[in-house]
Amino acid sequence: MANLNSSLNNFEGDRPQNSPEPIKSTDKKSLAPAILIAIAFLYLGLVLLLPAANVFVTAFSKGFAPILEAIKQPDFQNAIKLTFTLAIIALPLNTIFGLSAAWAIARNKFPGKSLLLSIIDLPFSISPVVAGLMIVLLYGRVGWFGSWLETNDIKIVFAFPGMLLATIFVSMPFIAREVIPVLDEMGTDQEEAARTLGASDWQIFWKIVIPNIRWGLLYGLVLTNARAMGEFGAVSVVSGNIANKTQSLPLFVEESYKQYETEVAYSAAVLLALLAVVTLILKEILERKTNKKQS
Amino acid sequence: MGSGQHPLKKSTSAIAAIASLFKNIFSHKWGQKNWGRKFVSLFLVGALISVAIAACSDTKPTATTTNGSATQQAPTGALKKDVELTLVSFAVTKKAHEAIIPKFVEKWQKEQNQKVIFSQSYGGSGSQTRAVIDGLEADIVHLALAGDTSKIEKAGLIEKGWEKEAPNEAIVSKSVAVLVTREGNPKNIKEWSDLEKDGISVITADPKTSGVARWNFLALWNAAAKKGSSDAKAQEALVKVFKNVPILTKDAREASDAFFKQGQGDALINYENEIILASQKGQKVTYVVPDVNISIDNPIAVVDKNVAKHGTKEVAEAFVKFLYTPEAQTEFAKLGFRPVDESVAKEKKFVEQFPAVKELATVKDFGGWNEIDKKFFAKEAIFDQIQSQIKR
Amino acid sequence: MTTPPFTPEKPRSQPNAFLKIFSKIPWTWVITFVYLAFLLILPIIAMLVKASSEPFESFWKTATTPEALSSYEITFVTAAAAAAVNGVFGTLIAWVIVRYDFFGKRFLEAVVDLPFALPTSVAGLTLATVYSEQGWIGSLFASSGFKIAFTRLGVWIAMMFISLPFIVRTVQPVLTELEKEVEEAAWSLGASKFQTFIQVILPPLTPAILTGVALGFSRAVGEYGSTVIIASNTPFKDLITPVLIFQSLERYDYVGATVIGVVMLGISFVSLLAINLLQAWSKRYG
Repeated sequence: MANLNSSLNNFEGDRPQNSPEPIKSTDKKSLAPAILIAIAFLYLGLVLLLPAANVFVTAFSKGFAPILEAIKQPDFQNAIKLTFTLAIIALPLNTIFGLSAAWAIARNKFPGKSLLLSIIDLPFSISPVVAGLMIVLLYGRVGWFGSWLETNDIKIVFAFPGMLLATIFVSMPFIAREVIPVLDEMGTDQEEAARTLGASDWQIFWKIVIPNIRWGLLYGLVLTNARAMGEFGAVSVVSGNIANKTQSLPLFVEESYKQYETEVAYSAAVLLALLAVVTLILKEILERKTNKKQS
Repeated sequence: MGSGQHPLKKSTSAIAAIASLFKNIFSHKWGQKNWGRKFVSLFLVGALISVAIAACSDTKPTATTTNGSATQQAPTGALKKDVELTLVSFAVTKKAHEAIIPKFVEKWQKEQNQKVIFSQSYGGSGSQTRAVIDGLEADIVHLALAGDTSKIEKAGLIEKGWEKEAPNEAIVSKSVAVLVTREGNPKNIKEWSDLEKDGISVITADPKTSGVARWNFLALWNAAAKKGSSDAKAQEALVKVFKNVPILTKDAREASDAFFKQGQGDALINYENEIILASQKGQKVTYVVPDVNISIDNPIAVVDKNVAKHGTKEVAEAFVKFLYTPEAQTEFAKLGFRPVDESVAKEKKFVEQFPAVKELATVKDFGGWNEIDKKFFAKEAIFDQIQSQIKR
Repeated sequence: MTTPPFTPEKPRSQPNAFLKIFSKIPWTWVITFVYLAFLLILPIIAMLVKASSEPFESFWKTATTPEALSSYEITFVTAAAAAAVNGVFGTLIAWVIVRYDFFGKRFLEAVVDLPFALPTSVAGLTLATVYSEQGWIGSLFASSGFKIAFTRLGVWIAMMFISLPFIVRTVQPVLTELEKEVEEAAWSLGASKFQTFIQVILPPLTPAILTGVALGFSRAVGEYGSTVIIASNTPFKDLITPVLIFQSLERYDYVGATVIGVVMLGISFVSLLAINLLQAWSKRYG
């Protein structure tokens, strides 16, 4: 595998050695990587790291005491439970959808493919407030299904199912979107070969496709999870914010903030951030356990 | 909250089952089976998930009565099932209610031998109103302005005449508007008209997104109208003020943030209770309570349709009554609300905390919230006109 | 089309009929369409219906007030700028993560997903604080007269913040998948590194970059929680459409909110379609 100095300056340097490892930035010959890495850090610093650091700093500005206090509150604990529950249900559902859609789109030629893709992308661009509004229009007291729901005493909005719908809505497109490019890049050669050898659709799916798309799939899962756990706007419109019942962690953050419990709010935010990062760490562990794909 | 945990518990075990099922599906052991069975297992998973969802949606409040008779008082000693009350209130009242509710629960337990379980929701007054109209089954609503409560009435959930059902025209907590300045008041801001001056920048919340911010606007208008003695003059004055507003924040808390945290503006218009809360939480504040002011009245109401459905009318009305007792009013006062109970208002520490206001206008002077909305906040009404008159 | 299930020698534990019914419609399509219909199309239809409950003239009037028009421009142009900048830097970051090894690499990788996990309101608060005139970064620019928080620049930064992960995470898996043989071939034929990058690496990467940019763009367009805090929400200056929708909602103007929501939906959809078509074209000819 060639070491490649991709660069924006014309570095017509020597032929690099044949080594499968990525370049170390301490390589004498690689000035370009160092520059690129520096730019990456600078950009991330400005846009992401400093604001994030501010969150941590504010959370711990009064020490650990307020945070420990907060963790004891049943409000806080129930908010965490609720957020987890939402994510854990939304994730598999959106995965099934994402994989089906990705497969259907990437493996078939049909007119209107771009149209379908754009439809799947819609949840991203629909403002969360509007998403919540749509759910209320359907299932609210005066919504389309409102009276039917009321007669049968089924609660959707201002109860868990409504929040679940909102969460699923906003995190829907990730898996499809992450997997499609990988499916495209992968090509159908391996699948066709397997088919000629007599494999069934399902065998092909589990033994060839999934292993090849696993990084795209994993990224998709990480993104879906992070989005599902961090969603605020849409959920806030449909949840009613009843403490211990329909108050997810992001809602808890906002409420604490409104009550001038800034440190509690920010520490809950820190927790949310850490939860999302945990999934990333899990992915890293998985990566190291299985063989990293050699191209 | 007891009834709040069980559905979650049910769902957690359901989810554990689903998770292990998924693990099996994704592991290679099943790789050899044909797809028919796969489909069936997916269906099973889907069914399990629906069951989990159904289990979670089982959060109906359990209302009860005793021995067959409707909502009559049973002799104490008979054991009653727990009753659940949902209180929907606006954000700043949280601490007060959290202190008042246990006292009420204790009292009710002693007198009626029945346990009351409260579900509480706090948020922006407008958002809460919308939620209740859209189906949030509140038994009691405590909102920031009567206009919001009227909207719930218009939606058919509260019967007409709710204002008469509680003392003081159903106003249970009050506040006034204040002018917050920088430490030492360098720009010497003492009253509303000072905000019209050039070179002063003012922070206030947006009346369009914060129902409660309408109070600020009314306070401004009230003072300007009294000074200028005509609507046209008042509008002129307000144009000058809003020219000085660089940011219209989403709500009161954000306005405080913009002023204190982000260092914007020379003056902040906010409600007294919000500022008192901020100072209690450690924020240094310097503020003026203008003499010409408006009484920010927060109404309380029982949501008739919902209490009828839940069978909680008696408890709800008792709770509302309880909020007027000196005990409860003291809790409100501690949080920065001006008490409506005279005896509490007369207490020394509260007299100090709440400077008297010479000229206090009320919503009645404006003709009620209907008129106010029409005149000021409807599309292309006065507020919109002011915005467009400002050369930006 | 996908071939019907083909299991000639394997023992079947289900009757043929079961398979026959479902083999008619590939179940990937069934799931896709049912899911989309229930969770996406239905809500959108509800919104369309609500918005069209007024006669067309008043729909048009609400949709084209000067305030609304300026909000569309502010929203979409700023989002496009944010997505474009992220297209460049996001790809750079993905490249750096995949191809190089350096101190702090794991940290960089973990941090990229942060904008997703932080509740948008917290993101807005922290950005507004850091970029305000007394903030860590804002103070640096304040001396040169640049005000970032509470201006359109602030909105732009907030949009970059929340759309960055989209580009990085979309480009990353594709970059990991790239086959080195083609690059090596180009090398062995004497191409310079720069040439190799432009002509060998970039083409297969372009669809992914475009996808990421499209996603980032759509996300930035709809963003409310963080942008509402960092903007001054002054009409004609930095009032974005989602905030306008929220204002309508607070006035109980459901119809107005859905009207503008529909307009936003339409414009987003068309832009997404354009980007996706561009991507499909570049895949075929790129």
